Amino acid sequence: MKIPTRGPLPRHLGRHLFLISFTALTLFPVMWVIKMALRPSQTFVTSLNPLPDTFSLQNFKDVINAPYFWTQLGNSALISGVTTIVGVFLACTAAYAFSRFRFPGRRAGLAAFLVTQMFPGVMMMIPLYQVLDWLGLLDHWLGLVLVYSTTSIPFCVWMLKGYFDTIPHELEESALMDGASQIVIFWRIILPLSRPAIAVTALFSFMTAWNEFILAATFMSDERAFTLPVRLQHYVGNYTTEWGHFAAGALLVSVPVMGLFFALQKHLVGGLTAGSVKG
Amino acid sequence: MSPRKPGLLAPLFALLLAAGAGALVYAQEARSEAERLALLQAAEGPQRLITPIKQGGWSFPRRFEAKGGAILSPQDTHVAALIFSTEATPPRLFDLDGDGAPDQALAARPAEGGGFLVGAAPLTPPPSLPWGLLCVALLFSLGMWAWLAFAYPGRWAGPLGAGFGALNLGLIFSFAASRALDVLPGARLSGALPLAAALIPLVLYGALGAYTRSLRSPHRAAFAYIAPAMIGMSVLILVPFAFGFGLAFFRFNGQTSEFVGLSHFAHILASSGYAITHPLSFYYTLFVTVMWTALNVALHVSIGLGIALILREPTLRFKGVYRVLLIVPWAVPNYITALIWRGMFNAEYGLINHGLSALGLEKIQWFSAPLTAFAANLITNTWLGFPFMMVVALGALQSIPRDLYEAADVDGADGWQKFKLITLPLLRPALLPAIILGSVWTFNMFNIIYLVSQGRPNNSTDILIVEAYRVAFEQERYGYAAAYSVLIFLLLLLYSRITERVSKAAEEAYG
Repeated sequence: MKIPTRGPLPRHLGRHLFLISFTALTLFPVMWVIKMALRPSQTFVTSLNPLPDTFSLQNFKDVINAPYFWTQLGNSALISGVTTIVGVFLACTAAYAFSRFRFPGRRAGLAAFLVTQMFPGVMMMIPLYQVLDWLGLLDHWLGLVLVYSTTSIPFCVWMLKGYFDTIPHELEESALMDGASQIVIFWRIILPLSRPAIAVTALFSFMTAWNEFILAATFMSDERAFTLPVRLQHYVGNYTTEWGHFAAGALLVSVPVMGLFFALQKHLVGGLTAGSVKG
Repeated sequence: MSPRKPGLLAPLFALLLAAGAGALVYAQEARSEAERLALLQAAEGPQRLITPIKQGGWSFPRRFEAKGGAILSPQDTHVAALIFSTEATPPRLFDLDGDGAPDQALAARPAEGGGFLVGAAPLTPPPSLPWGLLCVALLFSLGMWAWLAFAYPGRWAGPLGAGFGALNLGLIFSFAASRALDVLPGARLSGALPLAAALIPLVLYGALGAYTRSLRSPHRAAFAYIAPAMIGMSVLILVPFAFGFGLAFFRFNGQTSEFVGLSHFAHILASSGYAITHPLSFYYTLFVTVMWTALNVALHVSIGLGIALILREPTLRFKGVYRVLLIVPWAVPNYITALIWRGMFNAEYGLINHGLSALGLEKIQWFSAPLTAFAANLITNTWLGFPFMMVVALGALQSIPRDLYEAADVDGADGWQKFKLITLPLLRPALLPAIILGSVWTFNMFNIIYLVSQGRPNNSTDILIVEAYRVAFEQERYGYAAAYSVLIFLLLLLYSRITERVSKAAEEAYG
């Protein structure tokens, strides 16, 4: 590994060649899913050429015309949307406290958030099922919203706390002098300044909810309550797989998240780490 | 942005909402119970035998099959009861008379030779008041309570807030307890449940007391900001965790439970009676898990950091394009990734073997040897994992001042020296949390192993979490699986204690 320095053009040429081939390698499986989705067949593509040879939209039509597709799309959108709002709000307030106040239990609280990432998620299924059953939220979108927003909080809190740490305290002190209350400072100063980090947090919350599959498959059994990933799993059977439908569905599921990633990618680099490096 | 005096309107409204929802739910429950009893007495409809069917894969709860009629929606809250008790009411939505419309199962009794005998009548649409509404009302009310108690200092805020809070918690727990007695095999867990039901409010009461006392403390604002997240986390993470932890001390097969103390742990730590090198031994699986985590994290970090260093060159063009394209694997849901790669590694039609034979190499039976199957898992997980580290490294690199390198150039440092003495030390504070989180995630990365190699051959590529899942959902030894997950948790806790020291040192050095 070399530290880059400003070099002559041929050196960049090498870089480009490496990056192009690495990117091609990375994108190969994706290209190949696209190819499968565009073929009017359900078999696995075996040719090495990743470029599509046919342009049939039949698979997409089939997936979209499957029963309850729009309902399930709506479920996914609703659940992910609400999860994002709830998760980001909770993470912002908690991260603000961890960043700005010194109170007993601060370190323990932060550690507790990290520790929750260590519970084997799969094994939380049975008890979570019980809790949702008590709350009467099985087969209800609200149940998944609650589960997803709590599972995404710890990571979001860590990330946001790091970002809030980088915002100079002087801003708040002068606002306090001007008579602003703590809440005003939080809403009017901290939140607007942290837009990049909040955007990234929102992206993660959204992604957690939109992509999650095991819990959704466990808690939802009514076809009308499914999210898209659960629907997608039905194309992959134990013995046969409808590869064409699966590929088309996979693309439909991935496109919104990719869109968000592309839209937010500038913030992504700064938002994710700005906090942890105070150097 | 909000009034400065404690407004009574909002909390009163919340209280009304909660009370109204509670009353509605109670009324509805009472009514539907009465209706059910009435219909039960009049039930002369067709009877069917339903039996649980075993399915591999994701089926939880167990699906049920009605002989002679199709189950339209196998799930009802009562299916959960079936996991725990064979005597519970079976799912309600069946097509028992085969007319294509759902019927309501009204009464069931265990049949000889397994399954249930179910009597049914045509389905009357279930009353649609969801428990969700109640839940929202309670959460809203709780939120109002927290807001009132913390956002506004004043004579009334403390007692009022505590009052509302206690009322809400009481409501929540009475509902929870009534549902619990409905659903859990209370008789079988004899004593444990009422005890827990009594303990939880007690503990909460204590916490509430401490809380109200802390109202007078200068930390009130801090607690107010944390409270909403903490409340959600305690209901949906702490309660399930406590449940799982407790289960580890019981033998529990879904129907009967028996207290066994520490014997599950003893059995697991004694290698379950297998040789240490046997794939089902805890130590073998632990070894696989540690290798899995270490190799993955090492690959993620080195590839991510390498690409980030290459992309960092200020005069390089199309940086944004590369970055966007390289993030793509991160955006793809990981179960999709897993299924696609499993297809690519398929020995017959898989793309990778096609590629190998095109190159004149021999085809590899990826999933028939532990090492190649492990490699397949590793490749898949590396593909989906490096973009995260790349983005973290890119962000961290941005914050290193360029003049440090210029100064090093003046001093005549070579590339490696600059990397070792400037880049790495300054990257550490940013990379360390990412590495800790990344390794915890990888340690518990269920989807990839479970879907790509599926443990082939002979469970030799399973990691601990997958093993625990199999014990629970394929052998239905829930208590044993819970003990497994407690061990996983303890291992990770130990790991984080060790790394915490490192990060604390880092924080002191750079913070």
